[in-house]
Amino acid sequence: MQCILIFFFILISYTFFFSAVKRLMKEAAELKDPTDHYHAQPLEDNLFEWHFTVRGPPDSDFDGGIYHGRIVLPPEYPMKPPSIILLTANGRFEVGKKICLSISGHHPETWQPSWSIRTALLAIIGFMPTKGEGAIGSLDYTPEERRALAKKSQDFCCEMCGTSMKTALLPLTSGSVSSQADKEAKELARQISFKAEVNASRKPDAGPSNISGLNHSAASREPQQDGAARAFQDPTSATSETQNSSAAASQEHTPPVTTNTSMSPRQRRAQQQSQRRAPSSTDFNRVQQQRVNMNHTGSTVLIVLLTFALAALIFRRICLANEYIFEL
Amino acid sequence: MAQQDRIQQEIAVQNPLVSERLELAVLYKEYAEDDHIYQQKIKDLLQKYSYIRKTRPDGNCFYRAFGFAHLEALLEDGQELQRFKEVSARSKEELVAQGFTEFTIEDFHNTFMELIERVERRVPLPELLAAFNEPSTSDYLVVYLRLLTSGCLQRHRRFFEQFLEGGRSIKEFCQQEVEPMCKESDHIHIIALARALHVSILVEYMDRGEGGATNPHVFPEGSQPRVCLLYRPGHYDILYK
Repeated sequence: MQCILIFFFILISYTFFFSAVKRLMKEAAELKDPTDHYHAQPLEDNLFEWHFTVRGPPDSDFDGGIYHGRIVLPPEYPMKPPSIILLTANGRFEVGKKICLSISGHHPETWQPSWSIRTALLAIIGFMPTKGEGAIGSLDYTPEERRALAKKSQDFCCEMCGTSMKTALLPLTSGSVSSQADKEAKELARQISFKAEVNASRKPDAGPSNISGLNHSAASREPQQDGAARAFQDPTSATSETQNSSAAASQEHTPPVTTNTSMSPRQRRAQQQSQRRAPSSTDFNRVQQQRVNMNHTGSTVLIVLLTFALAALIFRRICLANEYIFEL
Repeated sequence: MAQQDRIQQEIAVQNPLVSERLELAVLYKEYAEDDHIYQQKIKDLLQKYSYIRKTRPDGNCFYRAFGFAHLEALLEDGQELQRFKEVSARSKEELVAQGFTEFTIEDFHNTFMELIERVERRVPLPELLAAFNEPSTSDYLVVYLRLLTSGCLQRHRRFFEQFLEGGRSIKEFCQQEVEPMCKESDHIHIIALARALHVSILVEYMDRGEGGATNPHVFPEGSQPRVCLLYRPGHYDILYK
């Protein structure tokens, strides 16, 4: 039974995979040029992972903030919703935690296939000024803290996609197009809410605090980029390093820091600083994993295609042979 | 959530999206022999219909049943096929004019039109059935029919709003109950889809109610039905004379 289920699941994933590729290519073309509010593009080697940049809504504590993050798309996209992970500390969403789009107060699977990545981006913008109210993945920082983070966010530069926040978006214009985007964002925020993924969040949940500790200490020992580059080339050594150092880090930091409200400003600053750097190196590992997945997908698709090609050739041969016999 | 996924997968393995055509008498076996209400209603139904085609109970059954039943009938009706093709081809522009984003709905529309073109080429029935059992094609068709339903509800907002309970606007209703996958359909969805495509739908309602017979409803009222569906609480299947 289990086997049939797995086979069935794989089969479904593949049939949707091609539709997803087609759709994502279209969306990539659609979102190619940055606007003054948002920009998103797939990573060069993975159409199912995108990086995005959004501007904080101007009439809020996030005014002036420019926030960066990842979008992970399921193989069934657009039938299933994308997940969003913020990489810039913002005081509204936890950094490094997967959050999902859903309609406020309803079943979490009320994503609509006619929505797009653009919808998701506008929804994030519109959703930022709403209250976190203790939901998983939500933060309720004070306005002052959010404003300080907004200011700081402009210095962020993503090591993975090479985007610098200073140049990521077009300068803000007061034209009608951008105010329309604002309006759309607010409209969407009324319908959509973001929830942390309960299943998947458990691991990343423990991750950021430990790994941020790791990076903090690792950064003082050696230049950050070297470590990152090594992680990129050699995932096994990087993982073992992560494990070692995270063990070390958790020893240093007992009890591990998970809530932000109970920290002193300096602790919090330290964590924010490390969080700014932290996700990038965990990302390298994650992307590495995803690339391996993609390779699997690639080879299986290739096998299926080759089987079809072979079948077609054999079929044609039989047809030709038959014709030949008839002609005789 | 994981458990829910598992249940859905198990339902999926046990039920094809659209089944082969079966003798209607198979329904007898689905209810206990001493379940007189249902046994009696099935007996009554057998006087009017001979076959049934089951659909997977995944919340999309109304759209899938409608889509298959109508396209299957169009294999035999060239004139209606042409009319249906024109209405369907035009429908995308109407949705775009209403504010739907073109590039997000065109893949669904294309899948829908490809299926209609296959019917136009008179594909054998097993091939049409295979297409409806291929998850991405089948679900894309469901998405498009949902979009057509949503479009029609929003176009005739004033008319439909009076049927909504709980002070929801039509727009909210569409975003919560029509456009997301797996959301079940009710009268209001059926009226809207029948109106959007100008295809009359008959639904035989079969439940525990009194009377010993199923309750037929034609949408829109008084029209000549092209598609016959059987409704049992929460689920639609296709009926054949």
